[in-house]
Amino acid sequence: MNTQLKRREVLAGMAGGAALLSSPAVLRAAGNEAIKMGTFFSLTGPASLFGPTQTACTALAVDQINAMGGILGKQVEIVAGDGGLSPAEAAQAAIRMTLQDKVDFIVGSHNSAVRQSIIAAIKGRVPYVYTPLYEGGECAPNTYVTADTPQQQVKPALNALNEMYGTQKVYLIGNDYVWPQKLNERAKEYIAAFGGEIVGEEYAPLGPGNKFDDAVTRIRAAAPDLVFISLVGGDNVNFNRSFAGFGLDSSIRRLSVLLEELTLFGIGAENSDGLFSSMSYFTAVESPENDAFKSQYAAKFGADGPPLSMLGADAYSGTHCAAALLNAAGSNDASAVMSASNGLSYTTATGTAVMTNRHVNKDIYLAECNGVAFDIVKSFKGVAHGETCSV
Amino acid sequence: MDGLLVAHGLNISFEIVVLALVSLGLAITLGLLGVLNLAHGEFVMIGAFSAFFVQSQGWPYLAAFPVAILACGAIGWPVEKFLIRPLYARPFDAILATWGLSLLLREMVEFFFGRGFNSVAQPIKGTVNILGADYPAFQIVVMLAAIALIATIVFWFLRSVTGRRIQAMVDNPDLAKAVGIPVDALARNTFVAGLCLAGISGVLLAPIVAVHPSMGIDYVLKSFFVLVVGGLGHILGLVIGSGVIGGAEATVSAIIDRTSGYSFVLILSLLFLWRRPNGLVAR
Amino acid sequence: MNAPVLRFENLTGGYGSIPIIREITGRVERGSCLCVLGRNGVGKSTLLKMLSGHLPAMSGQIALNGRDITSLAPEKRHDLGVNTGLQERPVFDGLSVKDNLTLMQSDQDLEGCEPFFDAFPVLKDRLVQLAGTLSGGERKILSFVRTLKDNAPLTLLDEPSEGVQPENIEHMANFICKHKANGQSFLVVEQHLHLAEEIADGFQVLDNGRSVLECKVGDITRGELVQQITV
Repeated sequence: MNTQLKRREVLAGMAGGAALLSSPAVLRAAGNEAIKMGTFFSLTGPASLFGPTQTACTALAVDQINAMGGILGKQVEIVAGDGGLSPAEAAQAAIRMTLQDKVDFIVGSHNSAVRQSIIAAIKGRVPYVYTPLYEGGECAPNTYVTADTPQQQVKPALNALNEMYGTQKVYLIGNDYVWPQKLNERAKEYIAAFGGEIVGEEYAPLGPGNKFDDAVTRIRAAAPDLVFISLVGGDNVNFNRSFAGFGLDSSIRRLSVLLEELTLFGIGAENSDGLFSSMSYFTAVESPENDAFKSQYAAKFGADGPPLSMLGADAYSGTHCAAALLNAAGSNDASAVMSASNGLSYTTATGTAVMTNRHVNKDIYLAECNGVAFDIVKSFKGVAHGETCSV
Repeated sequence: MDGLLVAHGLNISFEIVVLALVSLGLAITLGLLGVLNLAHGEFVMIGAFSAFFVQSQGWPYLAAFPVAILACGAIGWPVEKFLIRPLYARPFDAILATWGLSLLLREMVEFFFGRGFNSVAQPIKGTVNILGADYPAFQIVVMLAAIALIATIVFWFLRSVTGRRIQAMVDNPDLAKAVGIPVDALARNTFVAGLCLAGISGVLLAPIVAVHPSMGIDYVLKSFFVLVVGGLGHILGLVIGSGVIGGAEATVSAIIDRTSGYSFVLILSLLFLWRRPNGLVAR
Repeated sequence: MNAPVLRFENLTGGYGSIPIIREITGRVERGSCLCVLGRNGVGKSTLLKMLSGHLPAMSGQIALNGRDITSLAPEKRHDLGVNTGLQERPVFDGLSVKDNLTLMQSDQDLEGCEPFFDAFPVLKDRLVQLAGTLSGGERKILSFVRTLKDNAPLTLLDEPSEGVQPENIEHMANFICKHKANGQSFLVVEQHLHLAEEIADGFQVLDNGRSVLECKVGDITRGELVQQITV
């Protein structure tokens, strides 16, 4: 595998060298050209709610990187792509981005199906940093994951709720696609590990918004201690509103794994009793680094800027990670970046993170909803990501 | 166990009633005027945002109804006059035009309220126990209000002078003009009334669902399925279509899961389009 | 002499851009009936639809009591006193007979229809039936009653006797003559002479979209008329 990769890289390098030699214009321009960063954020589609904060946080990171001298001595320029496209369209956009726009690296925040098609399209030609929480297991060459993994996001939270409230019987509900299904596989392992029991599992289709009255009725009948929710966006809002509307919020706790400030605002203060979220970023995290990040964000975008949330903070950290990777490797050459990645430390919204096996060990927070705000109830320091990608 | 059956029964009834209410407005514009209004869901969304707006101003929930009617009317009137009226005889162009309108309305609401989710507090809190099943009190009220609204409109349509003139206009436009019915104005009022009805259902649904600019898409598709199954011939088709679509989806969802319920409805609608394009109650 | 109730001059028009009638001129005097005759497809209905406002005039002018109504919509012409009975689909099939008769009233009062019910008892027997279930002739009678019962100053009728039984055609003729005596005016398109002979004060014969004969009722023999419309 590795030797094959190397051979391909060498061949690509030779082809690239030949191209450079045969076109001196490119060579001349290279000296003062900007370095191009391709982005895939959710500009359209069901996750487009998160697009503005992703774009804004990335712009903030690029400002900071440029002020510090840029990447490889060049100023960073953004080539914006849409991560809300279908996987096939995203693949085409990624090919255009690498061959036509000639981006030097890509940062993406989108669903896993789009991630897989982008990886297949760019074939490791440029470094690709993937930032939002995901189901784990991505080890494609020249791909770097700053996202929360299940071992980070799910395991400590399930254990903590079990310790604090004795939540043994768990009901799983998620949307019907790869992330919730794989995440639930892992969740079942963690639940089995503390002797818990799965009393129900169901999936709702992605697409037009669902009503969850029937699911809530089934949950009431199954009488779990905890509902583990991997619904996204509008479905997450609708489910939690139904759940509280039927009065289950007073007796059954909920842990949602994609619940940040924007979604919680839709769920509403009166429906968030006993609702928990577990992630590596909340605006409520109290640390000097987060305070600095928030004030810089406010200074750049003012009070009317896109509301800050986890998916934006992730894109911010991912952009810093990409800059650190290229600067440490001295180029965007795949093997150089791959070997520079191990042990690399870079700036995040809440401090500094270290990359190993092309994933990131990080601090994780368990937050309980208090109206439409999060109260951090537990912090888990330096949680291992549990992934085993080669470098 | 009894309570569980009652709970599922209430869920299915709620789904059917809400579907019938949302579809009624679409049935008016499509069945009576021949315009497949793809922006119908956006008027539901505008109704829901009216409820959100009213709440953010600190006004009582009931104030959302006149606000929604005003908003839908103020948008619907010029839309009918400048966009829909020239296209009454060109149904395909009208579909494209209303699709464009739906994008525009979404952008407009996004401009004022942002792209995020909003929450409208339930005006009636808590649950009531019905035959052993705890059911949200507000959803009972919504169900009753929706049934009352549908019954009133159907009764009015069949019994009032204006209702009969609308039937006459749909039945035979040339003759309607000859007997002196101001067809243009009547068609406009009917269209706007259909939109206002969508707005009213948005107000009723706002406290139950996620309120956001793209929420309308959730409603227009299923309403269209209702009309495919029920047919446009008679008000009865709406009731039957809602029963079949809402009932089938809720029942299959209750027995298996949501994905199966959704697929079942999709297949059912495709079968109808293929084998019985005029629906169960043909014109 | 008074101005005519209806005057049309050099009317040209049809469907789309193809004219079906060309430069037709005519008039209807107060309290009189003009019968427009001609074979099938010569443009009689086109003329009537242009007079009622259902088809636009490409050129020419229409005046009602001296007022130009050439570009008015049908419902506006109705408000000015023009009642029209159409040839095809003359009633609202989806409404009951009663609703057909009372559609434009605020109440459901049938008093104005009573004299007609005496002549056409079939309507009274079927008040609650949907008009679409009536026979072709019965629909024509319903349309006739609906058009005449309001005593409009000008009534336009397109083949009112089509499919109607002879004794009922007699009743129609009687009603029209009675209304003429009250000062109401008529323009009636007919293909057959049965009704026309009994009600007409003047004839206008069309052929190939043009007016080929205009005359008063006494100026022409039946034989000549028959020849004109069967050639």
